[in-house]
Amino acid sequence: MLLQSRKKHIGTLSLSAVLAAAILLAGCSSSKGAEGTAPGSGAAVPASKKVTLMYHFKSGSLDPSNDYIAVRAGIVETLAKLNENLEVQPWLASKWEVKDPVTWSLTIRDGIQFQDGTPLDAAAVKASLERSMQASKPLGGALKIASMEASGQQLTIVTREPHPSFVSELVNPYTGIISTEAEKKAGTAAFNLAPVGTGPFRVKAFTPNVGVQLEKNAKYWDGAAKLDEVEWKFNEDGNVRSMALQAKEVDIATQLPAETVTAISKDAELRVESTSSLRVHFLLFNPARDAVKDVRVRRALDLLLNRESIVGDIMLGHATAANGPFNTRLPFGSKDPVRASDPEQAKKLLAEAGYVPGAGGKLEKDGKPLTLDLITYKGRPELPLIAQLLQSDAAKAGITLNIQTVENIDTYLRQNKDWDFATYSNLSAPRGDGGYFLSSSLVPGGSLNAGGISIDKLNPILARLQATSDPKQRSEITQEAVAVVREEVPHAYAVYPNLIVGMNKRVSDWKPGAEEYYILTNKMDVK
Amino acid sequence: MLQRIRSRLIQLFTVLFALSLLTFTLMKLAPGDPVLSLLRVDEMQVTMADEAQLREELGLNRPLHQQYLAWLGNVLRLDFGTSIMKGKPVLQELMDRLPATLELTLGGLAFMALVAVPLGMLAARYPGRLPDHLGRLFALLGASVPLFWLGLILIFIFSLKLQWLPMTGRGEWKGLILPSVTLGFGLAAVHARLLRSGMLESLSQEYVRSARARGLSERRVYFKHVLRAALIPVLTVFGMTFGSLLGGSVVVETLFAWPGLGSMAVEAVFQRDYPLVQGYLMMTGLLIIAANLAVDLLYGWVDPRIRVKGGRVQ
Repeated sequence: MLLQSRKKHIGTLSLSAVLAAAILLAGCSSSKGAEGTAPGSGAAVPASKKVTLMYHFKSGSLDPSNDYIAVRAGIVETLAKLNENLEVQPWLASKWEVKDPVTWSLTIRDGIQFQDGTPLDAAAVKASLERSMQASKPLGGALKIASMEASGQQLTIVTREPHPSFVSELVNPYTGIISTEAEKKAGTAAFNLAPVGTGPFRVKAFTPNVGVQLEKNAKYWDGAAKLDEVEWKFNEDGNVRSMALQAKEVDIATQLPAETVTAISKDAELRVESTSSLRVHFLLFNPARDAVKDVRVRRALDLLLNRESIVGDIMLGHATAANGPFNTRLPFGSKDPVRASDPEQAKKLLAEAGYVPGAGGKLEKDGKPLTLDLITYKGRPELPLIAQLLQSDAAKAGITLNIQTVENIDTYLRQNKDWDFATYSNLSAPRGDGGYFLSSSLVPGGSLNAGGISIDKLNPILARLQATSDPKQRSEITQEAVAVVREEVPHAYAVYPNLIVGMNKRVSDWKPGAEEYYILTNKMDVK
Repeated sequence: MLQRIRSRLIQLFTVLFALSLLTFTLMKLAPGDPVLSLLRVDEMQVTMADEAQLREELGLNRPLHQQYLAWLGNVLRLDFGTSIMKGKPVLQELMDRLPATLELTLGGLAFMALVAVPLGMLAARYPGRLPDHLGRLFALLGASVPLFWLGLILIFIFSLKLQWLPMTGRGEWKGLILPSVTLGFGLAAVHARLLRSGMLESLSQEYVRSARARGLSERRVYFKHVLRAALIPVLTVFGMTFGSLLGGSVVVETLFAWPGLGSMAVEAVFQRDYPLVQGYLMMTGLLIIAANLAVDLLYGWVDPRIRVKGGRVQ
């Protein structure tokens, strides 16, 4: 009896201990990292100049060769960058010169030090680029570097083949220049948690997938940052980011859902910046299918695309109607007017293509109704809505669109041939050059050309683009290519979605850029 | 006991083997592979030839059974491989994520216990009266409120309006409260109702009448006899809940930027990071089976009438 009673007592104690341990563990875990920002403390108590930012993608690593965050957070910098007009300009490289189609000579800016005090010279850049290419397979393929030779501040790079857009590839954040000496000392795993670059901010602490704390690099070559500290948090939920901004828990919240903008705008302490991005939403046609093989059908669908309604009703005003693959702000963006929705003209084109109204007003040719399969996906929530809008407008013109939503659009388009067109979205000029998008999506074998588009008039123009390195000439050739694309309509470009960033008005001397690369700068300040 | 543990271990390995075979096959049959993500085709200029070459290098073109056997062979040598997307050993990635998941699981269960035990007991003590009605309402809410909605509402009230608690982030102890409440709310509802029905059933048993007839106090009857007997069904569900929570909770992790296993697993599935998905399944399978085994062992301790031997209750 006594033994049984003791057992019961021990049992009850154990159960209590498990519960207590659970609660204690929860409590204890907090004490080791009480560095988070309490509500309001990020914004309301400016003991030092500090900004708290909530970003829409999380990062498990700060490895500059595999994540953009190191450049975005001002830890590392690249040899070239995009300016406000989205033109490629020197950064860590002060200038460059094309010696011959495969040889580039870069002058590395003098007098710069990494955050660990080691000097930046051509040898350090060479070592960094070698590291980047080894760590990132796609980067190695994009740079196409055969060899590099470093001498003082001069770096000579020889590419495996003529690579006229080489400098634009140096804008890629994966090419961010790091101190390989610091990496040797710390070991790669530790280094990827706190990389050493040349930027205005250095890593103070990084918690993978949670956030990074940064402090200013007092010896920054372009003038020390005005901010002392930055807390960069990750959160992938748009509503939470919006509420965090409204609660003043953060000063800047990126990629806000359009429907939260009104509430934020009503707060006198906050404001919203809605900037046209380098992304384009579009329809991608499958030239292997009978109906859309006919350019008149593609043009008709292009004319049925109501861009005004997409901008106003679907994107709630946070987009710009597209007139080509490239944002009009880009030097090579098309200057042509946006194609207005014109159902009557669309019907005329379809009539020319042999489609006549049949039973119930449905268009048909040789007794077969004009029924098209449209593929869409939910990865970007506005795309299925664009598909539905087009379905409605197409039905009025007598075309039946069957919409199919798939999980993985890239795989579906590659593995299936039973689609006529698809809604799609791409960054068309992520590094300030149009060559990537045109070559990837409109040249046979390109990784974004799932339908196998090949346009006879376009191919020689793109071949010329591949052989031209002069930026002005490249812009002209790109515009020439865009004119052909506009005529042949292998894609129907819908809108350039906006980047919607909310910020506290205490943040000054900063606005989000369309390129999304340079978020923290030495100029950013707080009142 | 040893025989029971041995038999459970055999079951464990059989289940893990079947699980790995099934998921490997299903993952491979689903369209897509990690090559497009790995080459970052939406940002970098690559050709379909590059894609094919990488597929070859990763061995993704090999017959399915060869890929599976190669993976299984490595696992038998305790090598779970390297995450294709993260370039990090699978085991290390899982171990990096496990503490956050454990923290959230224990937080959720602690909230569940704090709410469910008193609520279930009060409902059983006063059936058909206010505490029981409140318990029923709570159960209805717990079963019908979606996690993401509850999380957002909690954030809205406690972070945005009252500014008592931070919205996101692991590290600060306050940061654990809202995710734990979100996770534990639905669980508390289920467990409170289970406890209530278990206690009501126990209250109708003869030993309770005997205890009362012997003059034991109501408190002693409830805590020493009724509660213990009512814990059996609660423990069963608790075991399953605990195991599934160890797999991570995607919704709560996404809302509160919690770096746990759930969001990692979903990301790995979308990116077709086969080694990471397989490693995750092996680990969570192991944890779920271990949790259920622990619950089985707890039965005998909670209720002295139960002594399991050779599958029979004595």
